[in-house]
Amino acid sequence: MGNDDYMLIRSVLAGEKDAYGLLVARHSQSVFRVAFRITENEADADEVVQEAFLRGYRKLQDFDARSNFGTWIYRIAMNCALDVLNKQKSQTVVPIAQDYDSELPTVQLADRAAGPDRLLLSQEIETRRHAAMGKLTPTERVAFVMRHMEDHSTEEIAGALGIAPNSAKQAVFRAVQKLRQSLAPLWVRS
Amino acid sequence: MKHFTEEEMIAHYYSEGFSKAEAERHLQACPQCAQAYADLSKLLGSMPASDLPLRDSEYGAQVWQSIQRSLQPYEPKQKRRFYWPRFAYAAACLLFLAGAFRAGRMWEHAHSKPLVAGAEQQTKQRVVLFVLDSHLDRSERLLVQLNHAGGEADDVDFRLQAEAQQLLSDNQLYRQSAAQANDPLLDAALDHLERVLVEVANSGSELTSRDIASIQKEMNTPGLLFQIRVLRARVSEPRTNAHAIPKGANT
Repeated sequence: MGNDDYMLIRSVLAGEKDAYGLLVARHSQSVFRVAFRITENEADADEVVQEAFLRGYRKLQDFDARSNFGTWIYRIAMNCALDVLNKQKSQTVVPIAQDYDSELPTVQLADRAAGPDRLLLSQEIETRRHAAMGKLTPTERVAFVMRHMEDHSTEEIAGALGIAPNSAKQAVFRAVQKLRQSLAPLWVRS
Repeated sequence: MKHFTEEEMIAHYYSEGFSKAEAERHLQACPQCAQAYADLSKLLGSMPASDLPLRDSEYGAQVWQSIQRSLQPYEPKQKRRFYWPRFAYAAACLLFLAGAFRAGRMWEHAHSKPLVAGAEQQTKQRVVLFVLDSHLDRSERLLVQLNHAGGEADDVDFRLQAEAQQLLSDNQLYRQSAAQANDPLLDAALDHLERVLVEVANSGSELTSRDIASIQKEMNTPGLLFQIRVLRARVSEPRTNAHAIPKGANT
């Protein structure tokens, strides 16, 4: 697979643009998966996928033949997803409540599965989980997603984020601590 | 019995950091840690990724359709045609020049080796210390701004993030050099600094006072500022000495 990818890359660089379409077809599912895990929004994830492959095409001349294209485009997608998160953060007008308190009039994140069964506990957990993830910094969020959901090692996370392994490890720790603070009371209650 | 820290438990959950068998033994022997670890596992176990929306097998083709129009085909690289006689003549000239230059360097080196080597070493050291001092100075100013900014009520715009992004790439180089030079104090401080810079640099386009307060608290920026000041004092001391040595050597 990796070797095939490299042959396709050589074809693209030789002027056969359509060969890139095969690379897109091959890797779009995994890129969508990580984009969705980080953004938690389908439309944003689709946007990230397109942007990642666009950036990948423009940087293809810099691609190191010893690397794996799948890993390379995955990293680009992560950075695109980080950009989306940063953009969203800067556009947020009303802050999300720091700690959940049902008596305080706080703004909750949009519930994408609105309906009469919203009061069910599972939906409440999902809403709070989503809100808790929203409280993480972009770095913490990406580090946590890569560690917890995508099962990457600290070194891989550090490499993808361009930071030291110890910083990546600390980012995961801080993310877990924050999630714990936000979600632990729910478990006690339930 | 020493209990697990939260960090150790998280590391154990993700099978990192220390011996799994040793950790399991401790958890069996210590009910307090076992309970805390069970709570953590329950919490993290309840954090599966949200349901992944399905994308069918045509998804890749759809993505390609949406982006292909904006992509320009790469131009194939032209094969170079060498004109051998001219190329050989140019190569011979270059070789001769390189040989002459190298011979001259070797002659010069043989006649002035001790003095030049010493001077080069001192110059290099001075340059390294100057550059490092400058980096620490910029970092110190950023941390001072950061420490003063946390108390403000409104959004803060000190162009801290742009500065943090610039410092971050430099800092990674210095940290690697410090690790190679086996300087644990400098390495640890630069590592700590890097984590702060990463947070500031990645905090979105508007850094709020709440963000800053959180960074200050979680990453102990006042402590880091103190470390940086100590290091600056350490760095500027040999620089002063390095300036003094050539004067003595000339007399």
